[in-house]
This record gives sequence, structure tokens and C-alpha cells, in this order.
Amino acid sequence: MAINVLIVDDSSVMRAMILKSLRMSGLPLGETHQSANGQEGLETLNRHWVDLVIADINMPVMTGEEMIDRMKEHPEMKDIPIVVISTEGSETRLEQLQRKGAAFIHKPFSPEKIRDTIKTIMKLGGSDDGTN
Amino acid sequence: MTEQIKETLCRVTGDVLEKLAFIFSFPEEGSEDTDYGSSLAASVSFAGPFTGTLVMAVSDDTLPELTGNMLGLDDSESTTAEQQHDALKELINVVCGNLLPVISGRQSIFNVNAPQIITENIASYLQSISEENGQLRAFAAKLSLDGGECDILLFIKGKFPPEDTE
Repeated sequence: MAINVLIVDDSSVMRAMILKSLRMSGLPLGETHQSANGQEGLETLNRHWVDLVIADINMPVMTGEEMIDRMKEHPEMKDIPIVVISTEGSETRLEQLQRKGAAFIHKPFSPEKIRDTIKTIMKLGGSDDGTN
Repeated sequence: MTEQIKETLCRVTGDVLEKLAFIFSFPEEGSEDTDYGSSLAASVSFAGPFTGTLVMAVSDDTLPELTGNMLGLDDSESTTAEQQHDALKELINVVCGNLLPVISGRQSIFNVNAPQIITENIASYLQSISEENGQLRAFAAKLSLDGGECDILLFIKGKFPPEDTE
């Protein structure tokens, strides 16, 4: 199964770093889409089939947390797995995100951390090289 | 307290530079005086148990390599000014996000604003921060990078540390 991924981050450099890490991870990548904020992310989700959302929290126009809330209200988006990659350090805020069903990766991250977190949240088995 | 914060600034910044930009750094002892004429700087302000601003200045000579490393480019590929600005803003954002919980505790909640590139003269900007804020405490550290330098300055307004973290 190829995974279609949406990366939502206001930093183009960070989007490139996440994409590079995904390509290095050995996960079976399908289409990849990029958005610069939560609002653009929702628009992309309306236009494309996405299996996994990777999102930052602090973004202009619409935050990642608000985007997650909107996704949970939408019948066709509510079950899409979400991984939050952020600098957020407050345990209180992280617990809020986890209650919304999102997995969390703290910046700076390693490609291995991204791979392992995606495997867990998407319930992908198999070896570390991405084969099932 | 000052030495402790300075050490934390060095450790957190060095860790972020290594993990995010694959650049090793070494703390420079007793040399905070900098001519910022050949550096690019960014700032990020925050509010929570205490408020303040973090400033990060990186040598112009180092920034292209640092940006290229973050983007995973080959040595022969060049980076644009926009990419370099974006890379510096992301670096200071990650440093700030990792620094505040170390200083204030992991239960503390901070609102961190979007990082900004400092477009005016850096020395003048730093002077204006000092003048605009009463009871300001400043902590500075300098890191030596391969072919350049990184200055990291933390300005905290008001009472620090807050009573509940002492």
C-alpha cells in the first residue's frame, strides 16, 4: 500500500526536511502534498485522497490544532491518522493533542523517529526497511 | 543563574544545530562581543510564566551551508536568500521551543510568536530591546561553527525566575 501524505508547515525548509526524512524512511510513499497552514491543509484534503497528515501546530491563518478539530468534525477526514511535528514543549498541550488522537514528534527529529511513529499510528508491521 | 542560563543556551542551541543542520558547534568562552555586520539575525518573542525575546545571529558565510544541510542539498547546489531566511527562522523556532521547557519546566505553557528576520541593524535592534523593556535581564552565548559563529541572546522581561519555579 502506497501512503499518500500531506505535510502542513509554514516553513518551506521544514516541509523539505520532513519530505526528505519520509523518502529516507523506507515507507511506501505515494503522492505527497504540501500546505503552508491549516486552512490550505483542509483545502488540500478536500481535493485529494490523503492517508496520513503530518502537521505543525503554530502556523499563521489556521493553527494545526484548529485544523485537527475541523478534521474531526468532517466524516471523510475524521479517521485520517495525524502526526504532529512541533517544537511544543508543554506536557499540558501535548496531552491535549494526544486526546485528539494525534501522535507527536518533537523537533528536532530523526528520520527513524518519523518512520517508527508512522508505523505505529498507521499500524504498519514489517521490518525497519519498510517491507511488510 | 547567569552562567547556568548561558550554559543552557549553548547546550540547547548546539544540540539543535547538530540535529537539524548537521553542524557541530563549540562554546566560545568570554567573547560575547560581536560585530554583527556580517551576520543575519532572527528574533522570536514569547509569553508565559515569563516573557521575553530570543535572538539568534549566524555569520553570513555559514548560513548557506547550514541551509543546504537542512534541505539535504549537494555542495554544488546553491540556496536562495529566502531559503536561508526560512532556515534561520526554523532554527530559532526550534531552539526557543526546546529552551523554554528547560528553563521553566515541562508543565509551563508559553505562547511563542512567529520568528522574524531582523532587517534593521542588529546592534541597533538589540539596543532598542534593552531600551523598550524595563527590568530586562539579558543572557548571551556565542558558539563557534565551522567557518563562522552563532550568537544566541535571551532577553527576559520582568521578574525572573518566576516565584513558582524557584
